[in-house]
Amino acid sequence: MKLYSFLIVILVLSSSTTAECRSKECMPEEFVTHVVAGDGDWWYFYYDSVFNIGTNWFIIVESGATSFNGYISFEFGNNLTKSIDVNLGSGALVEKMENGSISFPGSTFSDEEFNRILYINFTEDGGEQTDAFQLKIQINKPPAEDMIYLWGGMTVFWASIGAYVMYLSNKFRELSDKSGLEDGRREKN
Amino acid sequence: MKYSREIIGLTGFLLVLGTLYFGLIQTGPAKYFTAPNAQKLFYLHVPSGLVTYLAFLMVVGGSAVYLYNKSDYADRLAKCSTELGIVFGFMSLASGTFWMKAEWGGDIVSRFLTDMRLATTLAMWLLYIGYFVYRNQPENSVVKNNAAILGLSGMLMVPLSYLSSRFLRSHHPVIVGTEDQGSLDPSLRIGLYMGLFGFLFIYIFLFNIRMKIEEMEREMLNAKMEKL
Repeated sequence: MKLYSFLIVILVLSSSTTAECRSKECMPEEFVTHVVAGDGDWWYFYYDSVFNIGTNWFIIVESGATSFNGYISFEFGNNLTKSIDVNLGSGALVEKMENGSISFPGSTFSDEEFNRILYINFTEDGGEQTDAFQLKIQINKPPAEDMIYLWGGMTVFWASIGAYVMYLSNKFRELSDKSGLEDGRREKN
Repeated sequence: MKYSREIIGLTGFLLVLGTLYFGLIQTGPAKYFTAPNAQKLFYLHVPSGLVTYLAFLMVVGGSAVYLYNKSDYADRLAKCSTELGIVFGFMSLASGTFWMKAEWGGDIVSRFLTDMRLATTLAMWLLYIGYFVYRNQPENSVVKNNAAILGLSGMLMVPLSYLSSRFLRSHHPVIVGTEDQGSLDPSLRIGLYMGLFGFLFIYIFLFNIRMKIEEMEREMLNAKMEKL
């Protein structure tokens, strides 16, 4: 039992050391553009051009624009779309865009692929698409490093059944000893 | 039959060995999974979870019968099945934690708090830990009655845990009774059934022994009481 408590604590601790970085400083690539929509200001996209399968992928959006109402969609094709609402008409844009990021889960892709296109579309509230951009993303499949989890999980089964069988065996022996003593048939060692 | 218990145990053991051979050796790393090796835990993780439900449903049944007619056999059945439910529940929860860490990543604690299948299964398991601890005291009719009432709570907890992934927020896939049921890969199905029957036979084997021990304990206690 102590062993499992130890293993679980290790797993919990290791999970906190592999926390994902969602700040723009962690993003190796930057894409800067200005859009026709709104006041034509500059928009910044921070991202990693490598999408590692199994790890959540982020793209961060920043802008100094003051007038754009609509949404920005990010699409990998095949209905893999996410969007972010932008409402900059009331001058509340800075607060709004500070947290402007979207993520795709690490399980979005299962196979490696080069130059996968990420379509970034600006659509105004009326439904008119005003600007469209493309980014090339490399889908990378890192070698599976999950053998330790497989063996950890498998050990749980054998150790649990083994421990319970030992518990039953000890209980049985204890009872046999007790009943032997009480009947006076044999003495306890 | 003289050796029926041993035969059941041995069959269960061989079926689980067969599941391991099938899952780990015959089929290669799984496709479409982030953690293709850890996916092999599926063949024993799901069966252990299903056997846990069975064990706790037996506790519910035993408790209900005890409350109805004070049957000593039903009380023993509930008590013994609780222990096995806890063992298989631990297997399911712990192996699931390893698989979850490899496949979904992220923080384990927050997963247990936000995935309702995990949260409700852990709650059910802890409830029966409470039952087990409560029964670890000299037995009398009050203890048995209270334990039976506690045991009945599984009537709510088991369906809640099983159905949580259908109606509440959960990453666990829903297969049974959906369109995906028919599309389940045959290789997954074979391994799953082997693992399920393997664990079921091991459960029956261990349950049988545990019932025997409980019977011996009660006989000894009764004999002692008669001497007094």
